[in-house]
Amino acid sequence: MPKSKPPEKAQKSSGKARFKPGDRVRVKDLPNLFYSRTQIYVRGVVGTIAACTYQDIIPEDEAFNRDGRLEQYYIVRFRQKDLWPEYPFENDTLQTESPERWLEPANN
Amino acid sequence: MSHTHNPGDGGAGERHAAPMVEEITDFEVLEIAVRELAIEHGLFTAEDHRRFTEWAESVGPAAGSRLVAKAWIDPAFKARVMEDAVKACKEIGIDWAEPTGFGTPSDYMNLRVLEDTPTLHHVIVCTLCSCYPRPLLGMSPEWYRTTNYRRRLVRWPREVLAEFGLVLPPEVEIRVEDSNQKCRFMVLPVRPEGTENWTEKRLAEIVTRDCMIGVALPRPGRTADVHPVQKAGRPVQR
Ligand SMILES: [Fe+2]
Repeated sequence: MPKSKPPEKAQKSSGKARFKPGDRVRVKDLPNLFYSRTQIYVRGVVGTIAACTYQDIIPEDEAFNRDGRLEQYYIVRFRQKDLWPEYPFENDTLQTESPERWLEPANN
Repeated sequence: MSHTHNPGDGGAGERHAAPMVEEITDFEVLEIAVRELAIEHGLFTAEDHRRFTEWAESVGPAAGSRLVAKAWIDPAFKARVMEDAVKACKEIGIDWAEPTGFGTPSDYMNLRVLEDTPTLHHVIVCTLCSCYPRPLLGMSPEWYRTTNYRRRLVRWPREVLAEFGLVLPPEVEIRVEDSNQKCRFMVLPVRPEGTENWTEKRLAEIVTRDCMIGVALPRPGRTADVHPVQKAGRPVQR
């Protein structure tokens, strides 16, 4: 096989993470510039940090194969009722991942 | 409407939660175009591509089943899985770095195993494409990649699970895991009753692919993801 270049080494959380598990965060509703992996259905919704996972290049940069900005990623947990107001089951939740730039503190 | 299967795709007995799209998609056309360009430019050969495809398609869900069975039997192993799943995979012979030394381009080395409890049930999806823990489970089933499953599971998880025959009481929290970035997820189901004193090998037999996606629960006697094909009530007359 021809040699291929390994991707940017996935780094462990460096401790510079802005949020920690349990923090309440709102997903920003930013405009999509060419590429994003932040789903429309979580935009503007408040959830809870479930885990700080890794640091990696943000999708907005990686999609264009350039040396991207590294950022802390999180798993964010939402109540299904907060995502879909008419959702009929109280206890159900949904988790999805987000890089830090898409999250802002939410105090409510 | 009939569903066609490619020979050897393991489709026999497969039930599709969504109508299959039979025409080629833009992304498939794009993949072929990029692949042919790459071959033309000498980045890899057609033979390299064939061998890689063969390798990728030979990976099945057996490793995932082994991981679950071992975690059920060995609490210390389970603790290591929850702590660092990629590292724990090496104990069952799975190296996420294969075959390149840094994994495949879409099997990022960030595995998280989601542990079910009697009051919490996980189910995985990727709403953006079809991210799947392939080193452990092999290629995803065709229905997992359909827009039908992907868009409806996040919105109506209980209805979609019911279509797979899995009906859970409202007290059980259903947690959908949308793997939209670089983590890969797999469900560690609750060990079912009636499996006391079973060997690891016997336990692994009931941990099928669907149980690790979260659309089925393991139970004694259930050793395959068989989705019966419903006969049409009013078949088309020829
Ligand atoms: Fe995906």
